Amino acid sequence: MLINILETAFNLIISLNKDLFEIISLSLKVTISALIIAVSISIPIGAFLALYKNKFQSFLVLISNTLMGMPPVVLGLLIYTLVSKKGIFGFLDILYTPSAMILAQTLLIIPIVISLTYEEIYKKNKEYNLLLISLNLSNFSKLKTLIYECRYALLTVALTGFGRASAEVGAVMIVGGNINHFTRVMTTAIAFETSKGSIELAVALGLILLLISLIITIIIKSLRKIS
Amino acid sequence: MNILPLKIHNLSYSVNGNNILNNINILSDEKKITIIAGNNGSGKSTLLKILHGLIEIPDNIIKWGDYSIKNVKDNQTMVFQTPILLNRTTYENLNYVANKKNITEKNYVQKIIEKLNIKDIANVNTRYISGGERQKVSIAMAIIGDPKIIFLDEPTSQLDPVYKNEIENIIKNLSDLNVKIFMTSHDVSQINRIGKEIIFLDNGNVIYQNSVTKFFNEKHCSLINNYMNYG
Ligand SMILES: Nc1ncnc2c1ncn2[C@@H]1O[C@H](COP(=O)(O)OP(=O)(O)OP(=O)(O)O)[C@@H](O)[C@H]1O
Ligand SMILES: [Mg+2]
Repeated sequence: MLINILETAFNLIISLNKDLFEIISLSLKVTISALIIAVSISIPIGAFLALYKNKFQSFLVLISNTLMGMPPVVLGLLIYTLVSKKGIFGFLDILYTPSAMILAQTLLIIPIVISLTYEEIYKKNKEYNLLLISLNLSNFSKLKTLIYECRYALLTVALTGFGRASAEVGAVMIVGGNINHFTRVMTTAIAFETSKGSIELAVALGLILLLISLIITIIIKSLRKIS
Repeated sequence: MNILPLKIHNLSYSVNGNNILNNINILSDEKKITIIAGNNGSGKSTLLKILHGLIEIPDNIIKWGDYSIKNVKDNQTMVFQTPILLNRTTYENLNYVANKKNITEKNYVQKIIEKLNIKDIANVNTRYISGGERQKVSIAMAIIGDPKIIFLDEPTSQLDPVYKNEIENIIKNLSDLNVKIFMTSHDVSQINRIGKEIIFLDNGNVIYQNSVTKFFNEKHCSLINNYMNYG
């Protein structure tokens, strides 16, 4: 039984099944877009927060750390109420589109990337602070140096965000709606296909997700070695 | 730009209620090398950091000639007791500093590398080089951009005798070129070789300030005597 399922799943992957690859490619498009947006907002913010020590900054870090643990479904629900017809952003008309899914994943990983960036830059700043003040650098210059010095660690942070976003199911289900050929991504497809009893496609997608996770882990491990 | 005399007026510094420097007053017109000596924890590194503006203190406590610390900061560099180097090659570290100092001269970094005799490690990431080599790179970084004042915090503590001699010559040369040097050292024969003025700290207090020649010819309290006998 299990062997049969695995065999069919493998065949689906090897035969480059069209449905399967449509789902994978949408998943990657959504998650990569979300990652690019989230990273370009969050790395500067996280780094900036690490340079200053005051009450407001500690407060923001606390908020970010709290949001890091936000359950994705709750986030999905929140976005749903905002972008549904009656919500304040209803006019955008993005509910049940890939844009809404990108929005959900972006908001999901922003706090993660901010908090992890903050930690990395904070550590490096401790190490380099005296040198950087000694060189009389502007804060902008300091920030650039610290981000560059943390480049491998920050890549790891980005990959962590990618892993988190691509594995997430609750939020994209709520705001994307899992519409076939339009908003169906790997995680929502797995949930859907399983509930429908067509386990093979679900297993095939599960294997792909595992593979992605494996690749990320390997990259993170080798980045740890060089940084 | 005349950065002398250095005037320190009632400088006290404490962290969490711990007094690290107590009401220090220094007037120094010495153009040559000034040595800051004293036992572990006496406050030498802290004093250098304050003079370099790495630890902020109220204005007017310290004057370099007519200038405040902020005004001379761009003309000061420091070699830290534990060298701080970026996670890049030696060459890239030096290049980084040269860039920040807006140096456009071709082969400038190459010349510094030759001057400090560190060609062998030029293309090695600094996290792989030895402790003494880190000090060499750190010294190389500090002479970039022709600073007027250099703070050296035990710059030769990990160097072998031959290289220590090379560095002492470099330091003396800089001093001859009118660079004001402040240096901490526990090496009494080194103090004797290159120091011109000495300021001795004990527990955050200045207990002696005079020329090095006088320092070696006068009678002292037991604390300084011990320092000289064992150093
Ligand atoms: N940030 C700080 N917090 C608490 N104590 C500090 C701090 N900075 C310095 N001290 C203390 O101040 C004293 C002077 O430190 P400093 O590094 O200036 O000594 P030093 O004379 O350079 O000693 P050494 O010869 O060991 O380098 C030490 O007792 C040290 O523990
Ligand atoms: Mg010290």
